[in-house]
Amino acid sequence: MSVASAVLRRVAAGIVVLWAAATAAYLALLAAPGDMVDSIIGDGADTPQIRAEVIAEWRLDRPALVQYLDYLWRAVQGDLGRSYLLQRPVADVVGAQVWPTLKLAIAAAVFGSLLAVILAVAIRRPWARRFSSTAELVMVSTPPFLIGIVLLSVFSFQFGLFPVSGDRGFAALVLPAVTLGLPIAGLLAQVLRDGLDRALDEPFAVTARARGLRERSVLARHALRHALLPAVALAGWTFGVLIGGSVIIEQVFGRPGLGQVALQAVSAGDMPVVIAVVVLAATVFVVVNTLADLAGLLIDPRLRRS
Amino acid sequence: MRRTRLAAAVATLALLGACSTGSANDTADAGQPVSGGSLTWAVETEPITFNPHLYAQAKARLLVWNTFESLLTHDSQGGYVPWLATGYEVSPDGRTYTFKLRTDVTFSDGTKFDAAAVKANVDQLLVPNYAPAVAAVQLRNLDAVEVVDDATVAFKLKAPDVLILDFASSPQGAQVSPKSLKEAKNLKAGGPELAGTGPFVLDRYIQGQEVHFVKNPAYNWAPANAGHTGPAYLDEITYRFLKESSVRVGALTSNQVHVIEGVPATDEALITGNPALSLQRGLNSGSAYSYYLNVANAPFDDLKVRQAFRAAVDVDAVLTGVYRGTATRAWSVVGPTSPFYDKTLEGTFGGDPELANKLLDEAGWTTRDAEGYRTKAGKRLTVRLVQNAPFVRDRRDVLAQAVQAAVKQSAGIDLNVALVDQGTATKALADGEYEVFDNSRADTDAGAALNLLLHSAGAINRTGFTDAGLDGLLDDAQASTDTAARTEAYRQVQKLVNDQALVLPLYAPADQIAASTSVGGLGFEPTAGVPVSAYHLWLSK
Repeated sequence: MSVASAVLRRVAAGIVVLWAAATAAYLALLAAPGDMVDSIIGDGADTPQIRAEVIAEWRLDRPALVQYLDYLWRAVQGDLGRSYLLQRPVADVVGAQVWPTLKLAIAAAVFGSLLAVILAVAIRRPWARRFSSTAELVMVSTPPFLIGIVLLSVFSFQFGLFPVSGDRGFAALVLPAVTLGLPIAGLLAQVLRDGLDRALDEPFAVTARARGLRERSVLARHALRHALLPAVALAGWTFGVLIGGSVIIEQVFGRPGLGQVALQAVSAGDMPVVIAVVVLAATVFVVVNTLADLAGLLIDPRLRRS
Repeated sequence: MRRTRLAAAVATLALLGACSTGSANDTADAGQPVSGGSLTWAVETEPITFNPHLYAQAKARLLVWNTFESLLTHDSQGGYVPWLATGYEVSPDGRTYTFKLRTDVTFSDGTKFDAAAVKANVDQLLVPNYAPAVAAVQLRNLDAVEVVDDATVAFKLKAPDVLILDFASSPQGAQVSPKSLKEAKNLKAGGPELAGTGPFVLDRYIQGQEVHFVKNPAYNWAPANAGHTGPAYLDEITYRFLKESSVRVGALTSNQVHVIEGVPATDEALITGNPALSLQRGLNSGSAYSYYLNVANAPFDDLKVRQAFRAAVDVDAVLTGVYRGTATRAWSVVGPTSPFYDKTLEGTFGGDPELANKLLDEAGWTTRDAEGYRTKAGKRLTVRLVQNAPFVRDRRDVLAQAVQAAVKQSAGIDLNVALVDQGTATKALADGEYEVFDNSRADTDAGAALNLLLHSAGAINRTGFTDAGLDGLLDDAQASTDTAARTEAYRQVQKLVNDQALVLPLYAPADQIAASTSVGGLGFEPTAGVPVSAYHLWLSK
């Protein structure tokens, strides 16, 4: 099979995923109790005159199917519509928030993975492993909200090392990235350590040691490669943690970002924004998984043959 | 025409204003006002819109007045002070309100403020699909706005409506540059592209993070009760959006911000225990936070059950438990700071389990089931409260649980509390699937809130109670320009609501400001009771 057709198939599958995500989000909001008019009116005054104007403004009198097809048609042309709630083009609302969230997600992912590798590779003595393992479990099971508040109290409020809020330079990124990265580090470290232990029991490890390689080299050059595969396969999960966590992290740290936009849009039933965020998340998900597959090929030559 | 004697009134009010703000300010610490400096204020709520016409969040009011101004503003006694207008006259039939305007005002985009600008703003409000809630409620009696001359504008009404003055003092009635109204790309969202006449200009908004204002050096038309004249003291001010209360308090105690708004009762000790910080509390205007009882459904169709429900709650004990003594108990549907508040209602109900049980026995709820709830003909005495989660603030969900426990323990009433998403809540209300509705409104004229909540045609009438006498009282009070007559009408309204046990008032909503003692001029807006705009503030060197 040629490379071109493989890429084409991948792209086609990606488009289907995006369409399915947009449709699922649309159906979910449609199935949610209350209708769009209620969402737009909120808890304010509600009279037939106000309702009629809202319906006219957003053309909500059309059948749901027509609205859906109209939305898809315009989305294909690059028009994501206007936010019901914020009264601005969705592309503006979401566009301005992508980079702060992406920055946070990348910083957290890098920090989390590095910490995981260090924990798994460097801490090999039994007593240290037991301690590290416990610490990792605590990291995974502590709600990020609590981690964030504790880190803020100590490093921002007490010692004044980092500013509390906003997307303002590197210093403001440190605490949120650490908060979001710790649970990832915890789980990845466990997976990596398990993989390392297994690899070190394999005959190739014995062979490598027999060739006179030092334990450190066996670990870094041979065993780590084997252990990485299951960790890389968790990329999709990692991405989910990052997106889900960003909702809380952004709220605690007063950062701009997609998490806050998504939360506000979902609770207010702001359909155009919800769909845009879902489609965007799906896009990144497809990209991340593709990259993970490619990374797998790079790490394990056996996968390239099939 | 009856000439309103504004000049004398203003002088008196300026004096009163000076007295009342003097007591609220921490001038002793921040010293005399000084110009210059850049202040950072952490606020709880990020506004949905920066267009004052579409203002709907009381928590965003302190931002509105930085950039925009209205024709009048409120004093602290239920009266009005001229702002962009120099005065107003009311025709004897109460159907024409004529405003004389200042002639020295320009919008920050250079457009001159005049009668045509006022007309352009009102006409914009009446554009279909622009501000339906303003058109349908505040301007429902407006026929047309007429430009008499450059400095005179007349509001012609279809029916007498004194609340038009409240509109002229409200954010929704604030004046936006006619040029912005025509040219702004995202008019309904507001922001830097909307020019106003205020002492500051909004020059930067970063969604999810902060909004930034710079001083308007040309500003020289503050209302008489503002405390000073000329441009603002501060050069610039940044409001950061910090939704988590503990983070706001931490940011203040670590000197990362100068002022915070919204201090939960649990954190007040952190502020009051620190000599470098100060704490102020102000009661909001409008209606008290209350439970409205739905008379359309059983069991609240029975007056005795409504009275029993009210008697079963020891409101003071419940509030102390939830808010640690920081909440102000409400005794009427009208908030205690309103000039229409009926003080004689204080101490007339609540905290009487014996009465509650006696009334329920009389109403036929004599048996109890296995869980201790009262029953009648095999049916449990259950009432449902549906809370709309996105709009729950001040720990009202916790308060509901405390009331739930209180009515169960003292009278065997089953208060079923559901905290649900907005769609579910709206559906429950539309279908009448509730017996208790909770609400507070921040209207500056309590009458506006009562019209919505109690009038049989009210847009938020959730009691299902319709009474021609009640409607008549509300209509008369809205039509009259005589404060004494309005006060009497609203006193009768409150008495009727109390006699019918339609409402269980719980507490008067309040705002809290905590600040470093280097900040001067902090306080609360007269009448509205929300934190003041940045015009009043200074930063001691």
